[in-house]
Formats: sequence, C-alpha cells, structure tokens
Amino acid sequence: MTFKERMAARFTRIGLREKLLFSMLAAVLFISVAIALVSRWILVSSLTNELEMRGFAIAHSVAERGGSYILDNDIPKLLVLIFDEARLRQRKDLVAYIFIEDQSGNILAHTLTHKLPDNLRANTLPPGRPDAIKLMELGNQEVYDLAAAINEGLYRIGTVHVGLNKRHIDTLVGKLRVAFLGFISAVVIITVILSSWLSKYITKPVSDLTRLSDEISRGNFDIPLKLGSGEDWDSAECPAFSNTDLPCWHFDQSRSGQTPAETHRKCADCAFYRKHQGDEVVQLGDSFRNMVWSIKLYRRRLRESEEKYRSLFDSGPDPIFVVDCASGTIRDANPRTTELYGYPREDLLGMPFLDLGPEHNPACLDFFTEGGGGCVYYPKRLHYKNGGEPFFVNMHACPISYRGKQAIIIAVTDITELIEKDAQLIQAAKMKSLGEMSAGVAHEINQPLNAIKVGSEFLSMMREEDLEIPKEHFEEVVNEISTQVDRAAEIIDTLRSFGRKSDLMEESVDLNQPVRAVLSMVRRQFELDNIRFELRLAEGLSPVRAHSNRLQQVIFNLVTNARDAINDVSHADGGGDRRIIIRTGNDESKVFIEVEDTGGGIDEKDQQKIFEPFFTTKEAGQGMGLGLAITYGIIKDYGGEIRIDSTKGQGTVFRMEFPAATAQGESKA
Amino acid sequence: MNDKVLVIDDERPTLKMFTLLLSAYGYEVLTAENGREGVETFQREAPELVLTDIKMPVMDGIEALKAIKKLNPATEVIVITGHGDMDLAIQALNLDATDFINKPLKREALEKALTRARERMTIARNAEWQVVLEEKNRAAVIGVRGNVSAMTMPRLTEAFEQAVAMNKEAVLIEFEKNASINGAGITGLTGLLSDNAGSGTRIFLAGLSSNFRSVFETLGITRYAELFDQETADLTGG
Repeated sequence: MTFKERMAARFTRIGLREKLLFSMLAAVLFISVAIALVSRWILVSSLTNELEMRGFAIAHSVAERGGSYILDNDIPKLLVLIFDEARLRQRKDLVAYIFIEDQSGNILAHTLTHKLPDNLRANTLPPGRPDAIKLMELGNQEVYDLAAAINEGLYRIGTVHVGLNKRHIDTLVGKLRVAFLGFISAVVIITVILSSWLSKYITKPVSDLTRLSDEISRGNFDIPLKLGSGEDWDSAECPAFSNTDLPCWHFDQSRSGQTPAETHRKCADCAFYRKHQGDEVVQLGDSFRNMVWSIKLYRRRLRESEEKYRSLFDSGPDPIFVVDCASGTIRDANPRTTELYGYPREDLLGMPFLDLGPEHNPACLDFFTEGGGGCVYYPKRLHYKNGGEPFFVNMHACPISYRGKQAIIIAVTDITELIEKDAQLIQAAKMKSLGEMSAGVAHEINQPLNAIKVGSEFLSMMREEDLEIPKEHFEEVVNEISTQVDRAAEIIDTLRSFGRKSDLMEESVDLNQPVRAVLSMVRRQFELDNIRFELRLAEGLSPVRAHSNRLQQVIFNLVTNARDAINDVSHADGGGDRRIIIRTGNDESKVFIEVEDTGGGIDEKDQQKIFEPFFTTKEAGQGMGLGLAITYGIIKDYGGEIRIDSTKGQGTVFRMEFPAATAQGESKA
Repeated sequence: MNDKVLVIDDERPTLKMFTLLLSAYGYEVLTAENGREGVETFQREAPELVLTDIKMPVMDGIEALKAIKKLNPATEVIVITGHGDMDLAIQALNLDATDFINKPLKREALEKALTRARERMTIARNAEWQVVLEEKNRAAVIGVRGNVSAMTMPRLTEAFEQAVAMNKEAVLIEFEKNASINGAGITGLTGLLSDNAGSGTRIFLAGLSSNFRSVFETLGITRYAELFDQETADLTGG
C-alpha cells in the first residue's frame, strides 16, 4: 500500500461533513495563502522600494542642493540642509541619519548626535554608479544605508549617505502582515462557519437517512420519520395499510397496467405521498419518506400474505410436501405429514418421495421431470406409513419454484376412511349377494352331501345287515364320496374367497377365474330357473390388476341382472330363449368380458342412468339400485370401462374392458 | 318282494348311490335325471312308488308330481326336499304327495317313509281310509289310518264333533304310523281345531311322524292342539 492509497483509503473513511469542511478549508487556505504571499511579496517589496525610493529621493535632493555647499565648503549650510531633510515631517521616523562625505572619504556633515561610527562608511559607492544600498549596523539597530553621489557637472564631488531605519520599515511591513493575517483568518473562520453549516445542511439529512435505512433494514419500521418536513405518519389513516385487498394506487407499480376500478377506493389526496417545494435535500427527504412508506406498506402486506399462506401450509388439514424436481427428495413438509406418515419431520426432509409410495409415486415425478405442465391429480394412490402400513391417498401435484429450484408441491388427502367405506359398501354388497346366493349355494352344497350320505348309509346298512358288498360297488361308493367331499369343499372355498375382504393391493387376475367362481355358485340355481349359460372363454388371457372377489361381485351383479331381465320377458316354464352368454378375450392391450342376456333390453333413456346409485327399474322393495353403481365403481377402480349395447326387445350386452397388466404392475386409465 | 321304485334326481352321483341303496332294500330301481325324463319313465314303467327331488332343471319335482298324480292318483310319491325347505314340502303335500324326506337323506327316515308308503299301499288296496272313535277314561280318542284327504274329511269332522260332545277333558287324535295327511286334510283339520279353540276342551295330536309334526308346527296348528309323542298313556290309559 503506497502512501497515496493509504491516503485515499483514509479519505474515503472520513465523513462527508469533514470532507466538505476540509476541502473547503484547504481551498480557502490555499487561495488565502496564495493571495497573502503574492500580495505580501508585492506589497512588502513595493513598500520597501517606496521607502528606499524616498530614501534615495532624500539622498538625491541633498546631493542636488548640497553640491554647491560642498563646492563653497559651506559646512553649516550643509548641516542645516541635512537636518532639514532628516527632520522633515514624518521622515524622522524613517531616516536614522544623513551624513555627507567628500571624495576622499572625509565626513563633511552628519545628523547624528554622537560620533559617526566607522562601520557606516563601509557602503562605498563604486565609481560610475549613482547610488548603492547596504544593510548596516548602527549601534544595536539595523539600518539601510543608501549612498548617492553628489555630482558637479561630470565630476563627483562627494557622497550622501541616508540611513533608513530598518525597524521602521519592518514595523510598517509587520502592520501590513498583521492586517493580512487578520483578513485571512477572518476569511477562514467565515469559510469554516459557512462550510460547516452547509455540510451540516447536506450531511445531516444524509446521515439521518442512513440511520433510518439501517433501522429499516433491521425491520424496525416504528421509528419517527422526521425528515425535515417534521411530520410523521399515523398508519391508521391510510385505508390501504389496513386493508390488504385495497391496492395503493399511489405506489402500486405492479398494477400499472390497471386503472382503479369503481369498486376500488382511491384516495384523492394521499395522506402520505407528498412532494414539498424545496431543494434537492428536501426532495431527497420526501422521496425517501415515500419509499419507506411504500416499503412499510408492502412489507406489511407481504408479511400478511406470507403469514396467511404459511398458516395454510402449517395448519392445513391435509399433508403437503414440497418435492425437489431434480432429486425427487422432500424439501419441505407441513406438520400434518408427520402425523399421517408417522415419520419425524427431520426424517421426512431429504427423504426421497418415492419411499412413501414406491408403486404409484414414480408416475407423478416422471410427469414433471418429463416437462409436464399444470397440475395433475392422482386418485387412489397407495402410500405407506412409517412401519410399512399401507393406506390410500389422493394426490394433487402442481409445479412451483421453491428457493430458486424447480419443485412440485404435492397435497395429499388421506382417503383411507373413504376407501374403507368403499370397501365396506362393496363388502356389504357382497354380503347381500351372498344372501341372494345362499339358497342356491345351500342347494349346491346339499347335493354332494346328499350323495355322500346316501353312499355312506348304503355302506353302513350293508355292514349292519352283514351283507357282502360287491367290490366294484364298494369302490364306486368310496370314490364317489371322495369326489363329492372335494366338490363341497370347493364350493365352500369359493364362498370364503368371495366373502373375504379384499387386500389393499391388487393382484393379477385371469378374468376367466372370477367368471368360473361365480358360475360354480350360481349355475345350478340359474339352471333350476331354466336359464342356460353359454361360456365362450378365451384361453391365455392377459392378466389384469384387480381383486378377484370384487370382480366376482361384478359378474354376479351382471348375471343376476341378466336373470331378472330374462324373467321379465319369459317364464321359467314357458320356454323361450333363456340364455346368458359370457365371453372373455384379449383386445389389443385390453382384456374384456361380455355378459349378454336374451332379456328384454334396456330403454335408451335408462341406459344413461343405469349406473347411478339408487336407480332401479325394479318394483319398489325389489332392488336397491346399488348393484350397478357398485359394479361401476369397482370397474373404474381397476381403470376399466363398462359399456352397454342394448336394443329394446333384443337383449343386452354389458362389455367390460380392463387394461392388461403391464410389466411394472402399473395399471392406469 | 320286487317293487319298482322310480328315483328322479338331477344329481347323477346321488342317483348312483340311491340305486345301490334301494337295490340293497330289494327294490328294482329306475332312475331319471329330470322331471320330464321321470314322467316318461313313469309312463313306460308305471312304478307304484316314486322318489323325486324337487329342484331340478327342465322340469322340477312339483311339475313331475302333478304329472304323475294326473297319470295315476294312487301313486305313492315321496318328495325329497332340501333341509328346512318346509314351504316346498307343504306345496308338495297340497299336491297330494304322500310324504317327504329331507336332504341330506337319513336312512332311518328313508326306511320309515318306505315302510309307511308300503303300509298305505296295503291299506289303500283294502280300504280307502279309516277313522275310529273310542271313548277312554278321560279322553275321547280318534284313531286315524291311511290318508287324510278331502275324501276323509267329512268322516273325521263327524268323529271329532262326537268326541267333543263327550265332554271329556281332552280329545286325542291318534295317527297311525302310516298315516299321511295331504294339503286338503291339513286345511280341514286346521278348520276343525280352530273352530274348537276356546271351547275349553284340550286337543292332543299323537302318533304323528316327525315330518308331519314339523309341518304342523310350521303351519301353526300347534296353537290349537298339543302334540304328543307316540304313547300318551297317562291320558288314554285307565
């Protein structure tokens, strides 16, 4: 660091006021000193010159007038002359002495009261020069000795020496100097006063502004803003301050594209936004004050809005996650998430969002990382609590920018209860179906039991009667008993699996399986009703992600509806075409089931309403009208679709299509 | 004895077992897998005894019963019903089925039903029916044999009125083991008993096979009369 830099650094550190003061002082001093020096040099030298000139003038006038006296050798006259000259008015202060010497250096006359000291004669006048000056000592004072030649014609006849009192000259010069110094001091003092006032005038507002700005930066807005104008606000006076919905039209550049509508109140004269008449400092103060007011206003609004949304985030009833787009980790999570998922907050932060729902979450994240825009809604996603307990949620995801990064805000609704209710409803429907089936099932189970019973009664009778049982009869009976037990057990298994509550997770289902299961339970019952089934089941169906027993419920609903439709148009004993045709098959990436009946068909107007809950075409008390609504719900759950193809009087085809299960087991509509 | 019996059931395994069992009892067994086949076989073979399941496709047991009774009203038709399916049993009785057996079939019940049927056939050959009125110490006893049907009702009504007129503590209607009551008989009996209700005379029904007891309980006849087990010695004796 050179000296220059150090100085520069020091200069930047000192205050504006000092800078102003010092620079003004420096300027004034420099100018004063320069003026003083110049004028002193001019004045002092000209004064000295003037005095010397006077000295020389005296010397020359003595030389002029004394020449004749010297020639006449009239010493008294000469003496009178020099005394006259020396004592004339104020010359006595200036002239210390006058003496005249002739060519040979003899003193002809002098005005001193004592003997002329020899040293005064040292100022000899070289020939050819009219005069000379030399500083001499006279006793204890200094004198300028001026010598002037006394000429007569061309010849020099003597020399006049005039001693000028140096102290007198110095006194005059001193007076001059004092006058100058006084003047400069006065100028400096005036300058200091002026500059300090000026600098105070400029720097006080600036340092006030600085202080205020510092306070404001620290967030302290409750400081009086007395910036010269001497007035402060009462924020209660501003309608826009307490009402966040009211834009402040005086400041609001963000609404520059709008004009205040009639509905908005607009203050004709803003109580706060002011511009005074005045110089730049006043202007600066006003601007600053307005700026602070604006900051105060919008900061308050921002805080209110921030508090509002933060409280929404924190106290919202649903869990909300902020998930980083790039890494897929959770950046922020509200308190409800910890309650629902059972993880402490610090565990959640930084946890990959996939961990919460490995099956269903990737689709959501992929949607955004592949550049999907807007919000997406994912119903019925499976998530896991801490500890692996699964539950269902609806996810609502929107892209946001979170701390300068691309993120997704994901709101989650716990729909476990809903799903539970749904499951209960389906369960209740299944129970109802079980009730409807019970007669048929009882019959179905009774048949093998009856055969077993008869066979065993035969065996026990033969034993009691001690009769020989022919070997082939015995074998026949035993085999039959075994077969019938298996048959009964199978029916019971089917019933069990039908009645069981489904798991949360779907399984891979071959659509033929639920069809066969339902038929094993109801086929005989239908046949007793003289309704024949025609099965056209394709082999090698793609599996579908679903719950087998819910699909059984669907098929049961459809075949019982088919039976009712058939019974509406023909009678069990009356013959007629009484068939239910069930087809399954693959159709590109879909797997379908069709249930066709030879009933009376469905009215065009009813086809729209048939899946609505509580819509029934049956007599009051005959049907709840929930069967098809539940059927529809179940099919939709598996991403399937159901369509009706029906002509009045021509029978009905219900066609269900399900997406074939893909490799990841993700089935999405 | 080599009686023909026709078994109608849609279950082939059951038919197989029946064939073995009934053959062991010494019957000649004919089988049919549904009502229509059964009626055809009946026409062809004319068996005196028919066992039929009720619930069958194509033509159910009730229809087959009607058709068989139309062809020969004297045929003993025993219907096989699912357990607790009393409505169907009563419906069958109303159509003059002579008896019913519950599924799963118990040998005892089958044997009893077969025995009763044979006895009824024997009675039917000798006399259509028999109602006998006896006066005992504390009760009037009406003995009933064979079939209680529309034809029997006037005689039973007469006997009942006489029994009530005796002013005994109780009237006991005693059914023989082989007795069978059809729908008309049940209706008539119910009428008699309900008319008598409140007259103060206690009425007992005795000797009913368990089948008919359950039918009576189902129909609520037991409100007017008390059911007795086989021997009601305390009332009838002495």
